[in-house]
Amino acid sequence: MNNNLDYIRNFCIIAHIDHGKSTLADRLIELTGTVSKREMQDQILDSMELEREKGITIKLAPTRLVYEYKGEEYILNLIDTPGHVDFTYEVSRSLAACEGAILIVDASQGVEAQTLANTYLALDNNLEIVPVINKIDLPSARVEEVKKEIEEVIGLDAEDCPCISAKEGLNVEDVLKAIIEKIPAPKGDKNGKLKCLIFDSHYDNFKGAICLIRVFDGKVKKGDKILMMQTNKIFEVTEVGIFVPTTKEVDILKAGDVGYLAGSIKTIQDVKVGDTITSAEDPVENVLPGYKEVQPVVFCGIFPVDGAKYGELKDALDKLRLNDASLQFTPENSTALGYGFRCGFLGLLHLEIITERLEREFNLDIITTAPSVSYHVYKTSGDMLEISNPSNLPPQVEIEKIEEPMVKVNVFTPPEYVGSIMDLCQDKRGVYKNMTYLDKRRVELNYDLPLGEIIYDFFDSLKSRTHGYASFDYEPNGYAVSDLVRVDILLNGEKCDALSLIVHKDKAYSRGRELAERLKKIIPRQLFEVPIQACIGNKIIARETISALRKDVLAKCYGGDITRKRKLLEKQKEGKKRMRKIGSVEIPSEAFMSILKLNDEE
Amino acid sequence: MKNKEISIYIHIPFCERKCDYCAFVSFCASKNVQDEYVNFLVKEIEDFKTDAVVKTIYFGGGTPSVLSEENLQKIFDALNRNYKFKKNVEITIEVNPNSLSEEKLKFYKGLGINRLSIGVQSLNDETLKKIGRLHNKEMAINLVKKASLYFDNISADLILGLENEKDVYKYAEILIDLGVKHISAYMLEVHKNTPIFDKVKNKTFLPLDDEEVANEYKKLVEFLKSKDFNQYEISNFALKGYESKHNLNYWTFGDYIGFGVSAHSYISGKRFANADNLKDYYKKIVIQDENNFQTEIEERLFLGLRCESGVDLKILKKLGYDITKNENYEKFKKENIIFEKNDKIFLNKENYLVSDYIISHLLPDD
Repeated sequence: MNNNLDYIRNFCIIAHIDHGKSTLADRLIELTGTVSKREMQDQILDSMELEREKGITIKLAPTRLVYEYKGEEYILNLIDTPGHVDFTYEVSRSLAACEGAILIVDASQGVEAQTLANTYLALDNNLEIVPVINKIDLPSARVEEVKKEIEEVIGLDAEDCPCISAKEGLNVEDVLKAIIEKIPAPKGDKNGKLKCLIFDSHYDNFKGAICLIRVFDGKVKKGDKILMMQTNKIFEVTEVGIFVPTTKEVDILKAGDVGYLAGSIKTIQDVKVGDTITSAEDPVENVLPGYKEVQPVVFCGIFPVDGAKYGELKDALDKLRLNDASLQFTPENSTALGYGFRCGFLGLLHLEIITERLEREFNLDIITTAPSVSYHVYKTSGDMLEISNPSNLPPQVEIEKIEEPMVKVNVFTPPEYVGSIMDLCQDKRGVYKNMTYLDKRRVELNYDLPLGEIIYDFFDSLKSRTHGYASFDYEPNGYAVSDLVRVDILLNGEKCDALSLIVHKDKAYSRGRELAERLKKIIPRQLFEVPIQACIGNKIIARETISALRKDVLAKCYGGDITRKRKLLEKQKEGKKRMRKIGSVEIPSEAFMSILKLNDEE
Repeated sequence: MKNKEISIYIHIPFCERKCDYCAFVSFCASKNVQDEYVNFLVKEIEDFKTDAVVKTIYFGGGTPSVLSEENLQKIFDALNRNYKFKKNVEITIEVNPNSLSEEKLKFYKGLGINRLSIGVQSLNDETLKKIGRLHNKEMAINLVKKASLYFDNISADLILGLENEKDVYKYAEILIDLGVKHISAYMLEVHKNTPIFDKVKNKTFLPLDDEEVANEYKKLVEFLKSKDFNQYEISNFALKGYESKHNLNYWTFGDYIGFGVSAHSYISGKRFANADNLKDYYKKIVIQDENNFQTEIEERLFLGLRCESGVDLKILKKLGYDITKNENYEKFKKENIIFEKNDKIFLNKENYLVSDYIISHLLPDD
């Protein structure tokens, strides 16, 4: 195999969701014979059960392809990336390990919101971008128009770009050729001091923490003493290897290579994604730029259904954070839900994926509270508090003003939905910024919106109003003062902290009413009448009543079959265990997420 | 020393027609099938040896009154051959108002049967037809009249919660005036795999909702109280001295042996049941029920709270459960949902209708 850096290419694939990243990755792997036909399964890089199920890529997965071109053997390191807006951070991590990016654009959909967002990210990282038009086999494909869009909207030369169908395997070789011809070879000195970037990590029960690395300078092999520059920890390397795409041990990793490294690293916190690894004996002075730590924007409380499982929940979150540095959590105590964690996420999908992973991979029964954003609360005393848990909001009299996070939203849509989207943005307290007709069939709309409205149900509403034809992307855009209040829920006169939410004053009444109505449906009848009240401060804004339980009895208990009856009662007792108590009122755990689903019944 | 006592349950799984709501083991059967079954029953009786004195016998079903005189005689012969009866033994047979002749009533009397449980269910012809009963109001009333010529201890079953049945207490009034001494009022339970389940699902049968059933129940309880009928269990009411000794025995942990398909038994602290289909029953397949301290605590608790006798705190404690430490115990006591008297706890009768809720909150944690 050729050891020269000139014969290595490190690249990733970026695209809007559903434009065919994973399918192209599958084809590339197949074409280069990296995996035998027998082992080949669709979306081979998407190993997480959830990813296959949802048909999306969440974690970046690297693999090494070997391809012969003009008589020379090239090593192509492919890093698959997620496309969803929540995972921009993951994308930026893979970008830092590459010199180039394949940008896939769907031949019938054209340029979408995340096509643009991901392209900008790649340009920020000085990557060479190779556009590829995919799905040309579709009857609705409009290759020439999409080429024009790429040139006009993105500003990339698309004249000779590969036009392929990854699904049908059409022209896929063109992509390989373009990678070799257009993406620069890595630079680096394999005889220099060791310098690698950790771009991902995960935990293996036998080998400890595994670091996924890109070697920039020097080389690393088994037995080397390495230093993690940020955490300042030293480890002895026990194994280095590459991905084909499953792990394969090799003797050495050199400048330009992408691979993994293990070192009996037992403490998860010692591995920091984005950290630089160097030699402990001969360290470099400067760390690699890494990438900026992303700040979570969506927060919610996560509590074990069974309070005794707090420790298990903590371990699980620790393990998830190892390969998902964007996940943040701090201990939290709720009078309603006991001990748990306030967790920060990159977006709603991220939240959903983490909670599902906790349930599936760690077998935990959890309660999540309604998602919230982080508010800047300025007190009359002059202090500023960052508040992501509504129940921590100080009393109204102590508050001078509250600022909420804003985002710039880009929506790409066919023109016929413009009106409907404008209505939606208006309803979500959006401020119109700009509208551009890209061509006859695509309009770009720009709005400033409060993030709190986006996480509520913006995405679902957008999808249903545009029958899925609109795409959107957003980026943080500072904070803005807003007239916000906290709506509390009283159950039988007692406040349930886990149900509080911060909303705009104009919406407080309707949200309070909807919430009370929904809780009435979810909370089962109790022995006594239970009033549900929504209030702002001491002022009641909505009230519902759950009438007392009238009948809960199995009348017939004769014929001697006592066991059947006993089992029924035991079952009822089990159900009770999944309830939480607020004062004397029992609430099923689903109630706490119900705030999210307010619009289901509309 | 007092002699050990036992109750006997005999299951007769035959019916002329299965009722739409019935989830018990029962079916229509030819004479041959019935003969074969009775022969097997007799063998089962012969095989069960006990020194205990029989205090009650109960023929349940199905519809035991479909048995021919000959077959019933055979069963009684077997019982008489094998067991000693207590002097005032209570012998009950469940009967249906259709096709029960005066001759048969006399025959029952001659066998020593001294209590009739009549499946009246309703006195509204339309309702009776809707739920698949073969009798009407007139037949039910005639049977009660005829039966009271031969029997003093007559019980009638009523169902609460049937479509349009808003004044069930009036049926009780008619029956009591005719001499009925005991009323069992069961709330309709809609079980899967019964015709009524499908009817409820496709809305061709509209049972009362919980609120309405609760009202009917309250009205009936009030009415029966005014007639000196004591509510000695959630669904059972009787004039003094006419309580079903047989059912009381189930609820107070007396021994009982069940003969016949799907019959349950409880002997010396062990629960078991015959197979619930004829094929397995004829193979003498017996199912042992789970039985330990935990199950006994739970059984004592719910059986005791569902009837007047209450639950003995000392027995629970001996079994390892100090119910007074249960997080809900004091609260329920304070709210007068349960009360304590002479080291026993009782469910306040007002709360019978929500007893499952209360009991499930008082069960021990695992």
